[in-house]
Amino acid sequence: MSAGPGPAAGSGDESLKPGNGGEAAEAPPGDRLSELRALLLAAEHQQVVQIQERLDDPRTRAEDVSRVLTEAVAIRSGQDHSLTDSLLPTVEEAIGISVKRHPEVLADGLFPVMGPAIRKSIAATLADMLETLNQALGQSFSKKGLQWRLESWRTGKPFSEIVLLRTLLYRVEQVFLIHRKTGLLLAHVSADGANVQDADMVSGMLTAIRDFVRDSFGGAETDTLDAFRVGERAVWVEQGPDAALAGVVQGNPPRELRAVFAETIEKIHRDMARDLEEFEGDAAPFEKCRGDLEACLKSQRQPGEAGATRAKGARRYAPLIASLAVILAAAGLWTWTTVRRDRRWGRYLEKLAAQPGIAVTASGRRDGKFFVKGLRDPLARDPGALLASEKLRREDVVASWKPYQALDDEIVAARARSALAAPATVRLRADNGVLFAAGAAPHRWIEEARALARTIPGVSRYDDRDLADADQKALDSALQALEARRIFFARGSSDLAASESAKIAAAAREIAALPALGSAAGKEVRVEVVGRGDSEGSDEANLALSRRRAEGVLAVLRARLPSAPLAATGVGSAEPLAPERTEEEKQLNRSVSFRGVIAGPRAPEAAR
Amino acid sequence: MIQKKVCMVGAYAVGKTSLVSRYVKSLFSDKYHTTVGVKVDKKTVEADGRTLDLLLWDIYGEDEFQKIRDSYLRGSAGYVLVVDGTRRETLDRAVVLQNRAEELLGKVPFVLMINKADLTDKWEVETDAVTDLGGGGWPAFKTSAKTGEGVEEAFQALARKLVAS
Repeated sequence: MSAGPGPAAGSGDESLKPGNGGEAAEAPPGDRLSELRALLLAAEHQQVVQIQERLDDPRTRAEDVSRVLTEAVAIRSGQDHSLTDSLLPTVEEAIGISVKRHPEVLADGLFPVMGPAIRKSIAATLADMLETLNQALGQSFSKKGLQWRLESWRTGKPFSEIVLLRTLLYRVEQVFLIHRKTGLLLAHVSADGANVQDADMVSGMLTAIRDFVRDSFGGAETDTLDAFRVGERAVWVEQGPDAALAGVVQGNPPRELRAVFAETIEKIHRDMARDLEEFEGDAAPFEKCRGDLEACLKSQRQPGEAGATRAKGARRYAPLIASLAVILAAAGLWTWTTVRRDRRWGRYLEKLAAQPGIAVTASGRRDGKFFVKGLRDPLARDPGALLASEKLRREDVVASWKPYQALDDEIVAARARSALAAPATVRLRADNGVLFAAGAAPHRWIEEARALARTIPGVSRYDDRDLADADQKALDSALQALEARRIFFARGSSDLAASESAKIAAAAREIAALPALGSAAGKEVRVEVVGRGDSEGSDEANLALSRRRAEGVLAVLRARLPSAPLAATGVGSAEPLAPERTEEEKQLNRSVSFRGVIAGPRAPEAAR
Repeated sequence: MIQKKVCMVGAYAVGKTSLVSRYVKSLFSDKYHTTVGVKVDKKTVEADGRTLDLLLWDIYGEDEFQKIRDSYLRGSAGYVLVVDGTRRETLDRAVVLQNRAEELLGKVPFVLMINKADLTDKWEVETDAVTDLGGGGWPAFKTSAKTGEGVEEAFQALARKLVAS
């Protein structure tokens, strides 16, 4: 093998292959150089070939990357968020495609975590609500709460705003992402309840004010308005090269918030660099920044409010528990009172329904009061009087009654008593249209009642068989007393004994009363003076003697009662008062007695 | 929704604020003119099938005592020059302002509103003078804040130019 001048070394691989070395003696000079190179660099060449093959083989390359991928991801993730940010669009797109194509795969994968996630979310929401409610109650009933209400009233601000002012250390109410060059709004987010004006115009004015301040106080172009304060609110502005982030903060924000703003505007510049540079007024691409901006809507309560409250453990629920207890007690009392009133009202309605002469047509509760409507006979019991028996107050009940004439037996009887002006001695009872009268009544009333009874509504028949005529009774009694009187005479004599004169005087008084009694009873009364004699002697003699005796008594009575309807008659021994078995019985027949004569029947005929 | 910053400039008392207060959505008080020197309002217009929100920077009127701040003009996508037709000198001021705006913003769209068209009998601005402006390339509109004449047309014309630019 020798070296010498010759054509340029061939570059073909075939010439470098070690397998060709056996033909080197016959090879031309160029081939000899290749052979020499093969002898000197065979091992390295082999390695280069192998490396080339590895690089050319995608599978081998993938295997190589897979060996370091995990470690590389871990290292980069520890350094910053750029890997996450880079992967985010791809992962989001992949998930989106997966959901569209195979929704069941994602659903199956999420299934085990969805239940706990939902429960956790609900629990967190409830806890937050409870906390808010507890605070609201605490604030409402506490001395501090009353002060805040007073302040709300004095300043005209809503109570909720005063509470926020006094309990929040700070709260980021709004965040504006503003294009620095034009002052146009790129994106805007706000917290719940924040007072939000037209964000586009506010963004413009913020930029104008920034320019105004810089121009007015001679700042350089790069100088900016970082913060300004208005009352309870501060506006913090964090500038970036192409956009500014302005946060409206209520209260006193900590310095750390400035760092949050700064990180956010930096991230937006990193993520949206191209969109910011090419911004021509279309803010749509910046919608994706909303998440970053919403992360800036931070708030923190004063330690004395939320933090300390939590540290108090169970005590923090004291106002809530106390309030709930009060509410429950009030509800229980209200329920008990309502049920009791409803029961009383029910009993009252039952009583009303049972009352004769009252017909309830509607009842219920309206505007916090009971009401009852219906028909009422004027003679029925006063419905209002029944309220007291059920301990219901008249002012709690609205009653409306229309008058009508009831046909209940009790009401018919009462109506008859009223219409007939029945005396207290008369008892009236109605039964199915029949009016029964009992007791005693003057003769005239009885007559009038008979005439009027059937004209009374509800009375179809009148029955007074059990009603006594009081005047007739008085007349009968007077006659009975008069007829019991005896004026005695001596045997065979018609002379009045002195002892009998008093009897005649008494009889005269009784006779004098008879016309009035008879008139009341509707009767004409006459009195016959009847003379008698015993059976001794002849009948003619006895008859004559008896007439003299009667006329003697009549004469005495006439002297006292000149116009009295009196007549004298003698019956001899024909109508003996006693059978004369003894002398005493004979004496009874030697007398004058009185007989009342009534024109018409002595006892009234009962009406049927 | 596309937003554009548009400045309204002109001499003092040419009626810019009257145009703005009657035909656009306002949020802020006019007192901003005497304090900050500008008031931002918004007008929504349709142009070539697109909706534009014009954020109108109503800048205080310029006169010999105060000058419009350049910083307010910066970033404008277009501007409205307003002239009082009854005062010839306001047209001269508009020419100065247009030059300055063009210097600052470049050749961006603008329209010229010759205001107080309801008082044409008192006009001092001649039609020829307007026609000659910018070599006849100035889009001019006779407007009246009182009657509304020409106002919408002027804003529409500017919006179309902004969309096209």
